[in-house]
Amino acid sequence: MTTKGNFPVTAGSIVVPYGHVIGNEKWRGSEIAQRLQGKIRLIFEDGLGLVDFHLSNRTCILYISEADLVAGDEFKRRLVRFRNASSLGGIVIVEKTQISDQYFLAVQKLVVLELGMVLLPVTNQREASQLITQLVHEQSKDLNSNPFLRKQCSQLAEPSLFRTVQQIPGVGKTKALLLLQQFGSIHRLCNASVKELELVVGQTLAQQIYSFLCS
Amino acid sequence: SGAPREKDPPLVILVDSREICSGAEVVSALKAAHGVKVQVCSLSGSDYIVSNRMAVERKFVSELLNSGNRSKVTQRLQRLQSMFERICVIVEKDRVKSGETTRFFQRTQYYDGVLSALVQAGVRILFSSGQEETAALLKDLALVEQRKAAAIRVPTELEGHRQEMLNFFLSIPNLSYPAALNMCHRFGSVKEVANRLPGK
Repeated sequence: MTTKGNFPVTAGSIVVPYGHVIGNEKWRGSEIAQRLQGKIRLIFEDGLGLVDFHLSNRTCILYISEADLVAGDEFKRRLVRFRNASSLGGIVIVEKTQISDQYFLAVQKLVVLELGMVLLPVTNQREASQLITQLVHEQSKDLNSNPFLRKQCSQLAEPSLFRTVQQIPGVGKTKALLLLQQFGSIHRLCNASVKELELVVGQTLAQQIYSFLCS
Repeated sequence: SGAPREKDPPLVILVDSREICSGAEVVSALKAAHGVKVQVCSLSGSDYIVSNRMAVERKFVSELLNSGNRSKVTQRLQRLQSMFERICVIVEKDRVKSGETTRFFQRTQYYDGVLSALVQAGVRILFSSGQEETAALLKDLALVEQRKAAAIRVPTELEGHRQEMLNFFLSIPNLSYPAALNMCHRFGSVKEVANRLPGK
């Protein structure tokens, strides 16, 4: 599917009902549309402008076919126009085939590194429909179920504090425990005098710890 | 526009010591073809660090196709999320071993699920056809970060007391290698850091 002519940029947000995908009218009857139907609820709309599919109120897909890549730079202008006009998160799906492979690196550089958008390669419309289905499922899930996001686990401070104190040259497990029992925190340990340190460890080590922390 | 301007210092990329074996060609291409200053260190948890805030993971397509690697991949990325503002995964095409015809990969639903979750988590994804291309992508990432004033600018080789200070800072949970490196250079002592931290 080529993108000739001047499509208007739809910059505003589109309301996508929960669990639905809004597809550009031009995709009606395509292989992607046929394969999506039955898996997700696909609604066609006119006037989506540069966008091919809206996955949510925040995310949309711009599809670049093998033919677009071979035809020249029109698709680049389309991406740049979208980026300048829209605040939506744009996912670019690109057909990376034996024929279009030679263009892929330059497209990736433009989309990911220069425009800061997401780029996902597929080899055909069948793969694209499977990918879009997964993207929709992911969007409708709770963020907490995403395995790649940081989990708010309450990490116990004590074991790591113990390890950190052992990084002071000359301090092993036994001395680290004694120092933490006496001073309780790195801050208090750093502000202890040599005399105070001597009460816990020997004279030589006290001097060594003091000079490590304070110089 | 990709070439560094003259006043810019050479790009610095930190490489985990384990990558010397599995990514030998990436490392040599970074040095030879791209003139990047490569500092090999024990990064414990990331493959490459291209700026003060960005870590890069190199993953083979085969690792993402198979759900058997799920916990290994997710644990590493969760850990990176707690240390770095930006994370990038480079998905590298598997090497064709000698005696093997080109491998045919059946794209799995699991693979698309992984990509979708990465996108949703804000992880950047780049695709590479091999180690040399991966090196070029790492250099491009470091260049973008340099343009955004996030490049690693402090010396990466430390000696004696400074190296001991670095090890001390590296033992602090969620503190990244470049953050620890910058602390060694910006502060006179551990005590100075302790007394400058908020809520001491």
